[in-house]
Amino acid sequence: MPSYGRCAYMTDEEIPMVQLSESLEDYMETIFELVRDNKLARIKDIAKARDVRSASVIPAMRRLSEMGLITYEKREYIDLTPAGERVARRVYARHRLLTRFFRDILGIPNEFAQKDACALEHSLSDVGMDYIVRFFEFIQSCPEGGDVISRLQSCALVNSDKKQCTGGCTVQRNERQVIAEQMKSLREMKPGQSCNVVRISGTGAIRQRILDMGLMPGINIYVERLSPAGDPMWIKFQGSQLSLRLKEAQMVLVEPEVK
Amino acid sequence: MNTTKSRENNILKVALAGSPNCGKTSLFNGLTGSRQHVGNYAGVTVESRNGYYTYNGERVEVRDLPGSYSLSSFSPEEMIAQQELVDARPDVVVVVVDSTALKRSLVLLAQVMQNSRKIVLCLNMSDEAKKSGQRIDLELLAKLLGFPVVETVGHRQQGLDALKEKIAEVAQKDGIKSRLMLGERLESAIEHVVDALSKTSVPEDAREWYAVKILQDDHLFVTRVLERGKPGRDALEVAKKERATIEAFTGEDVALYVTERYYGFVDGLLREVVVQVSHIDTRIQSDRIDAIVVHRVLGIPIFLLVMYAIFWLTFTVGAYPMDWIDQLFGLMADAIVTYWPNDKAMDIQSLLVDGIIGGVGGVLVFLPNIVLLFLGLAILQDSGYMSRAAFLTDRLMHRFGLHGRSFIPLVTGFGCTIPGIMATRTMENERDRLATMLVLPLMSCGARLPIWMLLIPAFFAPPLHAPMLFAIYFIGIFLAFILALILRNTVLKGEEAPFVMELPPYRLPTWRSVVSRMMLSSWLYLKKAGTMILGISVIMWALTTYPKYTASPAQETNAAASVDLASAGSNDNAQSFRQLEHSVAGRIGKAIEPLIAPLGFDWKIGVATIGAFTAKEVFVSQLGVIYALGDPGETGEDTLRESLARDYSPLIGFSLMLFLLIATPCMATIAITRKESGSWKWPALQFFGLTAIAYVLSLLVFQIGSLLGL
Ligand SMILES: Nc1nc2c(ncn2[C@@H]2O[C@H](COP(=O)(O)OP(=O)(O)OP(=O)(O)O)[C@@H](O)[C@H]2O)c(=O)[nH]1
Ligand SMILES: [Mg+2]
Repeated sequence: MPSYGRCAYMTDEEIPMVQLSESLEDYMETIFELVRDNKLARIKDIAKARDVRSASVIPAMRRLSEMGLITYEKREYIDLTPAGERVARRVYARHRLLTRFFRDILGIPNEFAQKDACALEHSLSDVGMDYIVRFFEFIQSCPEGGDVISRLQSCALVNSDKKQCTGGCTVQRNERQVIAEQMKSLREMKPGQSCNVVRISGTGAIRQRILDMGLMPGINIYVERLSPAGDPMWIKFQGSQLSLRLKEAQMVLVEPEVK
Repeated sequence: MNTTKSRENNILKVALAGSPNCGKTSLFNGLTGSRQHVGNYAGVTVESRNGYYTYNGERVEVRDLPGSYSLSSFSPEEMIAQQELVDARPDVVVVVVDSTALKRSLVLLAQVMQNSRKIVLCLNMSDEAKKSGQRIDLELLAKLLGFPVVETVGHRQQGLDALKEKIAEVAQKDGIKSRLMLGERLESAIEHVVDALSKTSVPEDAREWYAVKILQDDHLFVTRVLERGKPGRDALEVAKKERATIEAFTGEDVALYVTERYYGFVDGLLREVVVQVSHIDTRIQSDRIDAIVVHRVLGIPIFLLVMYAIFWLTFTVGAYPMDWIDQLFGLMADAIVTYWPNDKAMDIQSLLVDGIIGGVGGVLVFLPNIVLLFLGLAILQDSGYMSRAAFLTDRLMHRFGLHGRSFIPLVTGFGCTIPGIMATRTMENERDRLATMLVLPLMSCGARLPIWMLLIPAFFAPPLHAPMLFAIYFIGIFLAFILALILRNTVLKGEEAPFVMELPPYRLPTWRSVVSRMMLSSWLYLKKAGTMILGISVIMWALTTYPKYTASPAQETNAAASVDLASAGSNDNAQSFRQLEHSVAGRIGKAIEPLIAPLGFDWKIGVATIGAFTAKEVFVSQLGVIYALGDPGETGEDTLRESLARDYSPLIGFSLMLFLLIATPCMATIAITRKESGSWKWPALQFFGLTAIAYVLSLLVFQIGSLLGL
């Protein structure tokens, strides 16, 4: 079982009364993981996961139970209440997002990324969190997002002792830009052209059907012809031939092959 | 454990699953000696069929399933495949794949691996794959998968023994669940859901599949799990959590993620076992044909030519054997009349000559035409041209609100409306499907062919015969399009399903399949003639013979004045026609005559048309009986045609053909529409709607034609 961020170095036992303290949040996170993996959490397991004595877990559980976040049955089995699950999920999601942000975008080594995520997840305000999420989503969904990251990681200015920008990344960038600008839908391809599938947009049954037929990102398509009336398109790929309407072809995003 | 399931009656149950057009039915026919319909396009089989064979003394039941690209709950055929595999739980699942498109076909294998233990992988079309230079390390593949793999050539019955052997072998063993490598994240999620499901009553072997499905929030499986009470709800909770985790992690919806993982698995597998020893494009031949057949300019003319050729073949070539059969019946009738003992049991003689030879014989003479029509359709379907034609006509169909997938059902409808309506099962959108079903009777079916064969030569000069036939079919098609457009914009308004269609390479139709299809259609036609049409002809004969007419002088003069037809014929004929009018059928006909007179029809046509509701050919047999009785001593198609030409003008002939083309789909059509649409509403609309349209159009044609003096 992969362990996603166990903030084991935090063994604080203090229990503030009003808001959920860091420690309680950590407990919630642990319970969430245990419940997800084993259906139920036992005091013993919680103690083990958090590396504390069972005795010190019990007051925290009592506290959480009073707050209506967990059910604390027979003094042994613990389950999340619906409200509890919401809280735990939020904590958990924050933790994961922060870890990924630190590790995958900023490039912080995993160990530190985990620690810092644990530290920040409690203190970061919802507003601050929201902005990080937005940036994260931007980097992930913007076609050039990956570009920014790779330029950051290969930048001579910040990664080595060069004092000036050498522009080493731009050559590469221009090439990428050309490709990004060239991304088109299959619909725009002319008979006789070849292209590579980049993405299948759209949702639901139509998309599933296209994927089931083997039109996956990465494959090479040759546009054979259009029907005399101009509509269905006849394509060849991997030894198969398909006819699809332009409406469906529009969902297939491609990168034309330059001869 | 229910690995060794109790086998009912000691029969081993085997299911053939695979993507469309990979050759399942070919293998099924080879294994079991059945003669199920095979065709070179996706979606031939729409209903599962059973067959049997015996291997080493053990009886094996094979089930041929409709092809499906994946097991899901989107389209009807996928649902069937899923039901048959997950719910019916066959003992052994044979996954048939098209070796020339392994990547796509194997996704289904991955899914089957998640719900079955005993699997045999069957690499079909291995002849084509080998020709293209692809070699597969069968041993390694079997080792990696953990179950046997066989190569076959379905239409030549190669590799069937090995397949039977492996099926028996797998059935013997206590299958172990093969592990599907789907990546740690998905695997652990599935594992957790399976654990939760183990507390429910979901059968052990199906748990993994249920887990995958509820992870994807598939409503069908979610409902099923919900029905299992508290443990079921718990399992759904677990699935919900896992889904959220995966989605948060990957930023993709689970459905797509799972599909991607399947492809990942298949890719990995293929990379290990496939060697491309050379790259030979086996489709060069096929591509050359396509360059002409779907050519930008030539494509449509060629399509029209192909369709015209089929009708021409049916008409012109069919005319010769038709004449022979006709003469044969004529001789039989003559023989009966000649050798019949004078004045004894004349009613029986009349029943034989007028009722049976006139009625059944009148229908049987068209057997050659029917056979030729089905030959034409079989060649279209087996060669692979059908999907090309669908490609060419899709835009037009689309304009009229029909779906690209309607094409094949519509063409099938030229043979018979019933399989046409059944073929609409491949359509995933209910509204598209209903629209196609409702207009399908307008495709002039094989049973109506005898009507055209009888009427066209009766009213039109020989050079017009084939064009006239083509025109009738064309009018049907045209009306179907218009009606579909109206339906899709009124009662069946709504979005259209996507249309992604595979274009298989051209394949030479195999003799076995073409001949067996012709035999089957002839057999069905003969059977119908020998049972239903025979029965109706006898009833018709009785209705037109009784009550007997005995002339009194007063009636004689009256009738003579009213029936001017009779005055044209001999005294004998006059007598017969009065008898006809006096009979039950005559009285019924007379009763409805006012209703149909504006269309140019008289009571004889009226009676025959009512009879045609039972089956379209009955129209011909009805007229045969009526005229055989009306013209004593003479039977045969030519005399019947002469009588028709004498009684009616070409305008009436045309108005009549129009009416018969459109009105009252036959009983069987109504029944199948009821069954396939699941309600009486649609067949009722079909019946009354089409009849009303027929009435109005025939009325217009006849009245306007009469005004113009035609
Ligand atoms: N070259 C070649 N052709 C084959 C082979 N097996 C079947 N065919 C042909 O492939 C076409 C499809 O065969 P079917 O048996 O109808 O395929 P199916 O899987 O039942 O198709 P659906 O019912 O539509 O799912 C037919 O034209 C067969 O003659 C094979 O091994 N090699
Ligand atoms: Mg089949």
